[in-house]
Amino acid sequence: MTRLSSIIVPVVFLLNGLTAQIIIPEWFEKLPDSPSGFCYSVGYSGKYQNQSLARQVATSRALSNMAKQHSVRLIFEIEEFADGRFRLLNPSFELSYDESVLLDITANYTPIDSSITNEGYYILIACPSIEWRPQFPSNDKTWEKQPKWTKALPNSRHYIYGIGIVSNYSSWIRAWKDADEYARFDLGKNIEIEAESIHAVQRDDRFTIESKILRLSCDIVLKQSFIVERWYDQKNDIYYSLCCKERRDNPH
Amino acid sequence: MKKLILIALLVPLALMLVNCGGGKPKAKMQDIPEWYLNPPMAEDAIYEAGDAAKQSMGLAKEAADARARDAIARTIEVKVSNMLKNFMQESGIGEDAEALEFTSSVSKQVANTVLRGCLITKREMKTEGALYHAYSLAEYNLNSLIQESLNEARKQKALYNEAKANLSFDDLEKEIQKLEAVGQ
Repeated sequence: MTRLSSIIVPVVFLLNGLTAQIIIPEWFEKLPDSPSGFCYSVGYSGKYQNQSLARQVATSRALSNMAKQHSVRLIFEIEEFADGRFRLLNPSFELSYDESVLLDITANYTPIDSSITNEGYYILIACPSIEWRPQFPSNDKTWEKQPKWTKALPNSRHYIYGIGIVSNYSSWIRAWKDADEYARFDLGKNIEIEAESIHAVQRDDRFTIESKILRLSCDIVLKQSFIVERWYDQKNDIYYSLCCKERRDNPH
Repeated sequence: MKKLILIALLVPLALMLVNCGGGKPKAKMQDIPEWYLNPPMAEDAIYEAGDAAKQSMGLAKEAADARARDAIARTIEVKVSNMLKNFMQESGIGEDAEALEFTSSVSKQVANTVLRGCLITKREMKTEGALYHAYSLAEYNLNSLIQESLNEARKQKALYNEAKANLSFDDLEKEIQKLEAVGQ
């Protein structure tokens, strides 16, 4: 029995280590400020036996993230029907970006830093191509304590924010991809959303039946939106992404 | 034997009753955010809270956000309607059918059009058994509301003119703009 547990425990620990994300580069958690005229973007991939393949996948993700930062069209709709007996909720998300922008970025970028951890491969790129290497902290680290923005939206006169939250993903790569996209949708909805609803309440001596049809939708093009921070709640397995965009009416 | 039959009948009945009474787990009072029970009040903004309990965290968040924003839209409708009704009554035309139609039309349109800058400023996620319970707080700045009301009132100018030909539309705009002092 002792022998069996001595085999099972390390195996479980190893499997857990493969799926959870414990060590990360500093710039994955918090995107550094880029020099004027340049943009940074982060890419990541899981562990591959072939390291160059891991780099290729991470770079490809960094490039598509850069294209989304540049300009992305978001179409969101949520409908809720409730009539006292049943409740239907139907959200839909559609994200698209211009393929030609991606091609331009692919032809004009520089890898700035990269990191290999037990869980995966990470890369930070700059666009347009940069001749010199900017200085910023590039250490690998564990996750910080829970940031305030995970509970309350940061309040700024110059920037507008959105938060993406996902949970219970078997792959941290898929989780971050979705958390980042939901953060962009959240930002878009904070800027502009169309709301329509019909409510009806029917009361008798014993019961109240509330019926409603609710529809919220938005179709928006977001330009220059950045995933500036990420945080992983290891205890509850929740992934948070913070998306930021300069306000349109910002005088600076 | 009789006892056995009695037990065999009572046990399923008891299980049925437990199952019926159980239902979804209820949120513990200490887990409910204070801002959900008592949304903040401000002179320059409207706050409304929404919540949803779902098996998926993402779905719970989306539903809670949508309900909070919908509550904002409905509050806006009442606010704009009251604002216009006050103005109409002060102008002595509050009971005219056309005036009522104008008031209702503008307030419904403002509430059912685009909410610009309606932010989800606070969110909390709790677990209740197998469910995620999301709480969201939406904030809408009154300046945005004033602008939307003005835009819609301008669109409905023809209807307003039917309501009262001898009142200038500028009076209505001034009345709506008075609110801007509150928003600043």
